[in-house]
Amino acid sequence: MRAKREGALRRLSGLKGLGRLGRLGRLNGLLVQWMLGFVLALSFLGTAWAEPLRVFAAASLAEAFTEIGKTFEAAHPGVSVEFNFAGSQLLRTQIEQGAQADIFAAADRVHVDALREKGLLGEAPVFARNALVVVTPAEDARVRDLTDLARPGIKIVVAGPTVPVGRYTSQVLQKMTASGLYGDDFQTRVQANVVSQETNVRAVLAKVALGEADAGFVYRTDLATAATKIRVLTIPERLNVVAEYPIGVLTRSSAAKLAAEFVRLVTGRKGQAILVKHGFNH
Amino acid sequence: MGHPAARRGGIRPFGILSILLPLYVAVPLITLLLVTTPRSLVEQLASDMALRALVLTLETTVVATVLCVVLGTPLAYVLSRHDFRGRDLVDTLIDLPITIPPVVAGVALLLAFGRRGLLGRYLDLAGVQIPFTTLAVVMAQVFIASPFYVKAARAGFDSVDATLEKVAGTLGASPWRVFWTVSVPLARPALIAGTVLAWARSLSEFGATMMFAGNLPGRTQTLTLAVMSAMESNLETAVAISVLSLVLALAALLVAKRLAATRSLWI
Repeated sequence: MRAKREGALRRLSGLKGLGRLGRLGRLNGLLVQWMLGFVLALSFLGTAWAEPLRVFAAASLAEAFTEIGKTFEAAHPGVSVEFNFAGSQLLRTQIEQGAQADIFAAADRVHVDALREKGLLGEAPVFARNALVVVTPAEDARVRDLTDLARPGIKIVVAGPTVPVGRYTSQVLQKMTASGLYGDDFQTRVQANVVSQETNVRAVLAKVALGEADAGFVYRTDLATAATKIRVLTIPERLNVVAEYPIGVLTRSSAAKLAAEFVRLVTGRKGQAILVKHGFNH
Repeated sequence: MGHPAARRGGIRPFGILSILLPLYVAVPLITLLLVTTPRSLVEQLASDMALRALVLTLETTVVATVLCVVLGTPLAYVLSRHDFRGRDLVDTLIDLPITIPPVVAGVALLLAFGRRGLLGRYLDLAGVQIPFTTLAVVMAQVFIASPFYVKAARAGFDSVDATLEKVAGTLGASPWRVFWTVSVPLARPALIAGTVLAWARSLSEFGATMMFAGNLPGRTQTLTLAVMSAMESNLETAVAISVLSLVLALAALLVAKRLAATRSLWI
């Protein structure tokens, strides 16, 4: 058996030269052809489809911007708008690391200013305002008023300190503590109840809507997505914050003109009406 | 000697093509080392965030690995020695965490063991709440890492010559004694390799932990979650923790490989 195989091998190696040049060479050529074809097909697809307008926007803008995007597409046939909704801090990092984007709409000035300082972002006017509320699960809520937030054993979910809504949450807690209405060390006691720091406001909302957390701080505008599963505790206006949303065109944008038009739509009458419909600017 | 195909010089395009994948894997990992300096590495790893994440990760992964071994060894032995109805089913089930997305595992864990979950609601009545606790981190790790141990352990037990166990039995040793004095020592390299792999996998757990345990420094923020959080605020910290994770993973892999290759009883 073994000898037989060796014999077959010897016969094969006799054909070695031919094999190399013929069969293997052809295989090699075939591979190269395939690869070339693949690359060509890819580049063809790339030119056939126009580049979409890429909008990086804060998670809280998801519904409003999706609707504005549809309006924009309707007014610009052949243009498609692609969204990347996430925490503003994450979008900023992605842009700093070279992500291809045309527009950045953030939930606070901090991340916008950081990009402007690096020359990555053009002028960024504020186009929307928002405020915070506390949400609790709709059923058997353990938090019935804001004072309950500091009760030991309550599970609170917030956004991380670099997430705009997380920063706003700290500001609200500071104001609440300073007001003296919620007891001594209110902020410290609430912070002690925090069980998770999420990366965006929608993750906070989801954990409360699931009933896994007793309370969370979110934007007033986020409620629609989980309306039946949550109850809302309003924060008195003087203890609340005004969350400002700036929008700007990235300097690396390959479609700066189109991007500027999108910004004009957002800051213009039509865009503002859509934002108001989704609860902004009240 | 070597394989006949290798002696003939191999298939030429394969030579070129097989360079690509290792290169593709090596370049980003080496980049990770190049963008940092030893000094920044030490500085960043001494930060509060990194230290707390490291301590928590070591604690949770060790507990998770012990659980994998304690629960996985009997299972692997039963799967290897007994042919019973539903064995293939159990075998597939136990492998499933390897193929399902970890984040899906996290959602499933939350819906099962969460406060409003299928089982979690009864635990809640008893005053036990798992989500957002260190226990949740361990549970996520066990869920994801256990197949790596069970697979290795089963292969180890499969490779033990059954006649040796029989001989020990006919010489009067109880099944319990046979297991400890024959099966385990002979399967030992595989058991240890599986343990190391399960540990490494729990070290890299992210998705299920994020979903089920949340992200709180000192309580549920493991190294991988710390990388994610740092990535959004301080790239240097993120890189430093990444390098640390890379070193730990590499060490685990080298140990596992060394053990898989040896048949000796003592490492």
